[in-house]
Amino acid sequence: MNRRVYLDHNASTPVHPEVVEAMLPYFSERFGNPSSVHGFGREAREGLETAREQVAHFLRVGKEEIVFTSGGTESDNLAIKGVAMGRRRGHVITSKIEHHAVLRAVQSLETLGFEATYLDVDGDGLVDPEAVRRAIRPDTVLISVMHANSEVGTIQPVGEIGAIARQHGIPLHVDAVQTFGKAPLDLHALDIDLLSFSGHKIYGPKGVAGLYIRKGTKMVSVQHGGEHERRRRAGTENVAGIVGLGRAVEIRGRDMAEEAGRLTALRDRLWEGIRARVPDVRLSGHPTRRLPGTCNICFRHVESESIVLGLDLKGIGVSAGSACTSGNVEPSYVLVAMGVPVEWAMGAVRHSLGRCTTAEDIDYVVESTVPLVARLRSAMPVRA
Amino acid sequence: MQYSPVLIDHFRNPRNAGIMRTPDGVGEGESKECMDLVRFHLRVRDGQVVEARFQAYGCGPTIAAASAATEVATGCALEALLEVPAARVEAAVGGLPETRRHAAEVAALALRAAARDALNRMVTRSGRHA
Repeated sequence: MNRRVYLDHNASTPVHPEVVEAMLPYFSERFGNPSSVHGFGREAREGLETAREQVAHFLRVGKEEIVFTSGGTESDNLAIKGVAMGRRRGHVITSKIEHHAVLRAVQSLETLGFEATYLDVDGDGLVDPEAVRRAIRPDTVLISVMHANSEVGTIQPVGEIGAIARQHGIPLHVDAVQTFGKAPLDLHALDIDLLSFSGHKIYGPKGVAGLYIRKGTKMVSVQHGGEHERRRRAGTENVAGIVGLGRAVEIRGRDMAEEAGRLTALRDRLWEGIRARVPDVRLSGHPTRRLPGTCNICFRHVESESIVLGLDLKGIGVSAGSACTSGNVEPSYVLVAMGVPVEWAMGAVRHSLGRCTTAEDIDYVVESTVPLVARLRSAMPVRA
Repeated sequence: MQYSPVLIDHFRNPRNAGIMRTPDGVGEGESKECMDLVRFHLRVRDGQVVEARFQAYGCGPTIAAASAATEVATGCALEALLEVPAARVEAAVGGLPETRRHAAEVAALALRAAARDALNRMVTRSGRHA
């Protein structure tokens, strides 16, 4: 039996045992509808509001500024469409390396008559705040820039972008799904008006997430129904999931700082181990302004899916930078936007570390990668 | 993605990987869409493939299909290889998921090209000797 090493924490994380424990009563004992006025409902409501307080405390914001949703994608859609549609027409600024939830939400606004600017990034994946300033128009209604990129981990200069947005009175939405619970976030210092976050990236359950909406931010709801979440998101809340999210956030507040240092060291150990023994490799993303546990390595002239399969056979879970679907392979749009040449981008492999990752795991991944890449390259044809 | 044990075995232990000195036939197959490239080198005696070697760039199924295709080719008459279908290569790796069928197609394309090249060389040689 192979050792099993999970290095795909940017995709999802295992639910923390303390989170499972916190959630369990809400499946069969405190199962009521939190909108009901009876005792069963009040018990569920209590769990919901405790979780809201936990999240608000972690972000140092008001609890009435937190809206729970079903996932990061819904949070992004609510933020972008909610703010833009409140204005009916206008211009939105975002970057070319946002998550599809942001890019496609903005594209959907374009079909409704809005206009959009998709900002370039530099070779490290950074958005230039001055490019944001230059893109602002009199009718700009929203700026949406991610806090950290899920593929390469580059952390954006959100504070500088926030200051520019504030100067111009434009709301700033930040997709922080990859940063929330991994790095400190001071929403007031960063001038953030809306912030998306998710549960399953921080050892909470899937199907639960949230959106911070700064008090006074003008927006409309995009999902209609009951008066849940202060009429900002209709639909009965996923109480057990939200309780789990609240507990996960509390644990992150306790463990985050220590873990960031540990993961940064392991991430660098992985890169150094591979760089020392595998020729023709490059690291994508900013060398220092990067998520602690994210290491995206391009193996030149090797197709990333073959590396993912080879490592999978060794019990290692990593993610491919290029995706082969129905006979079409597309290099990652993030790497393309960063100017990574195609022959490198096709061999991109993302390793994302987490709280259970050990130095022995990293050494095993290095030991498994070295002969695998050598074998794949040994049979590689040189193109005419 | 679920792959057959045969495919996994070919990927893990590729047969006949690499190049050949002075091959009797060389052929390539390429998929522009997925950028996969497979190349075969054939050694031929009396119109029959006695040895086949492959080089491949692509996803795991493409590497496995190229490896399996060398076993399909060995012992096969060149004339028969000229029309080898992708289904034959696919069967040799124990089947492919729908989204990875291109792996067998690229390998079969390269095999047919290598057989064609070997036959052309035979014709050229026999013409020279006539």
